Amino acid sequence: MALSLDRNFRLALPALAFLLLFFIVPVLALLLRSVMEPEWGFQNYAELFATNTYARVMFNTFMVAGLVTLISLLLGYPVAWLLAIMPRGLANIVFSIILLSMWTNLLARTYAWMVLLQRTGIINKALLSLGIISSPLPLINNLIGVTIGMVYIMLPFIILPLHATMRAIDPVILQASALCGAGKWQAFTRVLLPLSMTGAIAGALMVFVMSLGYFVTPALLGGTSNMMLAEMIAQLVQSLLNWGLGGAAAFVLLSVTMLLYAFQVRFFSGYADIR
Amino acid sequence: MLLNYNQLGRLKYVLLGITGVICLFLLLPVIFIILLSFGSSQWMIFPPPGWTLRWYVELFADPRWFEAAFTSFKLGLMVTVLSVILGFFASYALIRGRFAGRGFLRALFMTPMVMPVVVVAVALYAMFLRVGLSGTWLGFVIAHTILAFPFAVIAISNSLERFDKAIEDAAILCGASHLEAIWRITLPSIRLGLLSAALFSFLASWDEVVVAIFMASPTLQTLPVRIWGALRQDLTPVIAAASSLLVILTLVLMTIAASLQKVLNR
Amino acid sequence: MIKKFVLASVLIAGSTLAATAADLVFTSWGGTTQDAQKAAWAEAFTKASGIKVLQDGPTDYGKLKAQIDSGNVSWDVVDVEMDFAIAAAKAGLLEPIDFKTVDKSKLDPRFVTDNLVGSFYYSFVIGFNKDVLKTAPKSWADVFDTKAFPGKRTFYKWSAPGVLEIALLADGVAADKLYPLDLDRAFKKLDTIKKDIVWWGGGAESQQLLASGEAPIGQFWNGRIFAIQQGGGNVDASWAQNLTAADVLVVPKGSKNKDAAMKFLATATSADAQAAFAKASGYAPINVDSKNKMDAAVVKSLPDAHTDGQINLNMQYWAEHRDEIAKRWYDWQAK
Repeated sequence: MALSLDRNFRLALPALAFLLLFFIVPVLALLLRSVMEPEWGFQNYAELFATNTYARVMFNTFMVAGLVTLISLLLGYPVAWLLAIMPRGLANIVFSIILLSMWTNLLARTYAWMVLLQRTGIINKALLSLGIISSPLPLINNLIGVTIGMVYIMLPFIILPLHATMRAIDPVILQASALCGAGKWQAFTRVLLPLSMTGAIAGALMVFVMSLGYFVTPALLGGTSNMMLAEMIAQLVQSLLNWGLGGAAAFVLLSVTMLLYAFQVRFFSGYADIR
Repeated sequence: MLLNYNQLGRLKYVLLGITGVICLFLLLPVIFIILLSFGSSQWMIFPPPGWTLRWYVELFADPRWFEAAFTSFKLGLMVTVLSVILGFFASYALIRGRFAGRGFLRALFMTPMVMPVVVVAVALYAMFLRVGLSGTWLGFVIAHTILAFPFAVIAISNSLERFDKAIEDAAILCGASHLEAIWRITLPSIRLGLLSAALFSFLASWDEVVVAIFMASPTLQTLPVRIWGALRQDLTPVIAAASSLLVILTLVLMTIAASLQKVLNR
Repeated sequence: MIKKFVLASVLIAGSTLAATAADLVFTSWGGTTQDAQKAAWAEAFTKASGIKVLQDGPTDYGKLKAQIDSGNVSWDVVDVEMDFAIAAAKAGLLEPIDFKTVDKSKLDPRFVTDNLVGSFYYSFVIGFNKDVLKTAPKSWADVFDTKAFPGKRTFYKWSAPGVLEIALLADGVAADKLYPLDLDRAFKKLDTIKKDIVWWGGGAESQQLLASGEAPIGQFWNGRIFAIQQGGGNVDASWAQNLTAADVLVVPKGSKNKDAAMKFLATATSADAQAAFAKASGYAPINVDSKNKMDAAVVKSLPDAHTDGQINLNMQYWAEHRDEIAKRWYDWQAK
């Protein structure tokens, strides 16, 4: 085969061997356990989909990931847009803020949200004293808490790639549309939105995939009924020692993720690297 | 029009408003954590009844925090070395190689980055329990290198792609061996790529928490594992003090990176 | 060059590993309780024996079982709930206690078997925040009364003796008719306040919830309330219908430092160490001589001083039904 003839290919061998031994083999072994433990068969998968609790966790995972993606996209789009055309000095400030939040330790940020979102936290206190609400809103240990915490983490991952796409659009096209008599709304829906769509979809896909497998934020900001797949997998293997079921749940998460990844590579290659 | 800042009209203020709010949203936890670390309330009451340095004193008095930070640092260095070396050869093969299946290989190299971390963590945990690597340095280094490797490949292949292969060929024509050409010509030319590969590899390990939770043992805890543990059992404001120091570290690193970029662009 | 790098990393890794093999690892539930255990037991033990004690936690039964199953045991002495210990002993997961090293004669016999010795003894009490609530709750039924006591209430998150009994008591079941537990009735009662419950997963979290007023009322380990009061928090405990249970110390099967672990148990259960721990934590000592070594005022704040209406949680019952209750518990919680 041509593969082994190329001498440069040999240079990839150490990395390939490393990944094979410590990545592919362990993952396959885990998946194998899902059909081997406690005995051969698909009973773990049957249990996973038939049990109300587990099915809820899976539904919840996709719901949260979808919600987070949608909100991040809606909030991130205007920022990416403005960033692409803003005067350089101003844009640099915005960039520094985005990078600072992105680079700050994940647990530190989540801890801050834990305190901020409490019933007696500063957000509730501010809303109460402004008279907007009359009793504290439940913002933590529920879906709201998870959503706020995750949108916070995901926003940069939408803004940065989308900003790159916007920058690449030639402003002349929009001028042309204005010359042809298009109003602002028309120019937006007919020209800017379609042209930025690839970046938006690529970013959204990435955020969706990342959200699906998220562990720390849902575990700390969610309640007992907001459990997501990643936390469930960890609990199944670490606390309940149910490796078969844990492996099955891992396989579900893995296959969805890989499917979306393949889709992204196929249709949006080039964007996969921005992260 | 829509892509010209000065011709946006009223829309400009709408966009500026949204961006301003988002910026505040992004800054809020970062600033808040620093304020909280000086608050005197042990129970995260805010605004606090008074201000204190107590949590910083406790942080520095407790050797476990320092040990965890040092462990993270040492681990990060080991991971960086391994990841950059593996990443360089892998990237070289990807960019210079002319073999079938390169696209596939590249996608394969990227998978640890895309794969849900918890799956990697659980899979390695299972394997390491069997082969006796769980809770060891070697196991930790291996696990984090898996996660850091894709970042190294991205950074190094990007700069290899931009580097003109002809220069390397010229060196070989002039009598250098292939390895010599790589060592003396290629490596120095892509040093920026290597540097950012190193930086990203280090950060991938330094900030990583999920795999670390599974790999850690009582004697081997990284800083994120320590914070995670404290979040679950102590909830002491010392966490805020430690977090604030991490925020400051981030700021310092960002400033260094920015000025480095300026120097290099000059 | 590369080989050198790799070799160097492996060497660093190897050397760091070897340095820490002989230390004893003690695992407990974190927070103020573990701080007290560290100060009263571990430091005394290290001083006497020269063996360093590493603290880990929180106790996680799954992790513990995984360690024993894989033969890779990193915890040497673990503080666990007694019902778990009874079940684990039956399953052969625990080392037998060496009573040549540990003096059994002075230990409260309720908390000693072949595989476990008492750690401390505590009560679940009704805790409340005096800044938020004007009147003191007087029974578990009050905790379920969201009209008279508005706000969130907090309960122990994990499946363990306590919450189910509390729900039944609140629903009017007599204390001597609790067992066998009527699970349907307990969950039905819990359903009535489910949306008002915030779960605490560990002692520190319970303290934070109560002290900040996040959840001004709920079920607490008595020592945690004591600790908030020590720190100046305006909270109090109602001892009505307090439910007692015990933590015990066990040595997992396959511990690499078995002998040192037994010596640690001897120190931890001694009269002085138990008295010092009780003083710092507000939990009761399991060594019968300890009370002579403590202030009368402190003795009065311990569960033993509140035997009026006190209910002992049935550890034998729980040891037998742990798994089936746990399954139902987590299913119900996630609903």
